[in-house]
Amino acid sequence: MGPSKVQGREAEAALVERCRRGEMGAFEELYGAYAGRLYNVACRLLGNPADAEDLVQEAFLQAHRKLDTFRGNAALGTWLHRLLVNLGLDYLRSRAGRTAHATAGMEDVNVVPFTRPETVAERIDLEHAIARLPDGSRAAFVLHDVEGLDHKEVAAVLGVSEGTSKSQLHKARLKLREMLRQ
Amino acid sequence: MTTPCEAFSASIGELADGTLAPAERGRVEAHLDHCASCRALLADLEAIHREARQLPRAEPPAALWTRIAEGLRTQGVSDGGGANPAHPGNTKWWLAAAAAVVVLIIGGVLASQITRRGVTPETPSSSTPPANASGNADATGLVESVEADLEAAEKHYERAIAGLEKIASADERSLDPQVAATLKKNLEIIDSAIAESRTALRSEPQSAPARESLFEALRRKMSLLQDTIALMNEMRKGNQAGTAQILEGLQKS
Repeated sequence: MGPSKVQGREAEAALVERCRRGEMGAFEELYGAYAGRLYNVACRLLGNPADAEDLVQEAFLQAHRKLDTFRGNAALGTWLHRLLVNLGLDYLRSRAGRTAHATAGMEDVNVVPFTRPETVAERIDLEHAIARLPDGSRAAFVLHDVEGLDHKEVAAVLGVSEGTSKSQLHKARLKLREMLRQ
Repeated sequence: MTTPCEAFSASIGELADGTLAPAERGRVEAHLDHCASCRALLADLEAIHREARQLPRAEPPAALWTRIAEGLRTQGVSDGGGANPAHPGNTKWWLAAAAAVVVLIIGGVLASQITRRGVTPETPSSSTPPANASGNADATGLVESVEADLEAAEKHYERAIAGLEKIASADERSLDPQVAATLKKNLEIIDSAIAESRTALRSEPQSAPARESLFEALRRKMSLLQDTIALMNEMRKGNQAGTAQILEGLQKS
């Protein structure tokens, strides 16, 4: 499953062109196609719905301002995800500067089995554990394991290589495993 | 120094994804055959991946598009543009409006509860903790109580949505398009006021003026939506006198 919901590059190009002409209806179509997935990524990246709303809003406004830089090399959905994740990571960095945001190190993760999360309460634990991941690893985990993007798409969204995407994801999963067994 | 199991860790992650190269797969599976610790790792990584895909999905609130549209207008995007295939006809708008009626009715109840608590925090009840010198206990209790109320409202909202979808699809053509456009515009203005009040409340959660401003905007929206639905009913029945009376009231408000 990828981030593209407007089917086909021609349909994407036509929608982008209408957005460039400043048609509100085209932006509403863009919002209808991608807002749900972007909002879910934003919620799990930032950890609360109020900040997620602000992030999605800013991503769409920035999409309008930067639409001329969209060349169609990446899928429109990937481009929007990248705008959102970059804004979100910037926000997290500035928030970390204001607060003592504890980020545990990724080294020395033990290999010990944990009880698999199969109940609602344990899913909540998984949500809490995701929120405690370091920012970069959390973005990779949310995009790949929660949203279902493949590594090529995750790499494009995060602006890293596929190898780095795989590495960040694996570190995230090991950290989650460690947290969930505690 | 890397232990044999650590050397297999990343490959086990790829095996859990189903993306491990066939050439590597045999070597990893041979190791798993005699390593219980790595089998446990594989099982756990698969469980995390599976559970992550089943996490509940959140829907963006209906007011979010209104906020974004307002921002886009300030950046020069025009309402007069092309069609809207994602939201054919007025279905989405009426769904949002009908949903908002339910939310705001619940919100009105909450508003009255919150306002009562906010105005008379010094009046303890059997369910509220006693005030301390700094008032922090009152504030904490209030926040927790409001959060609980909002959670309850959200559940009501989700249940109501399913029924409202039927109402919205049945009534979408009840209104004259020009009247519908005017009402939609007015609702957007009120939504903008609500969004501004919520932003103010987020930065100053204890601000009484910000809270009052939010509830006033919510009351205005609830009133407009109630009138809108009454207008839909009168137009559908063909009652010109009732329609004119409601429109006159809307023009005065």
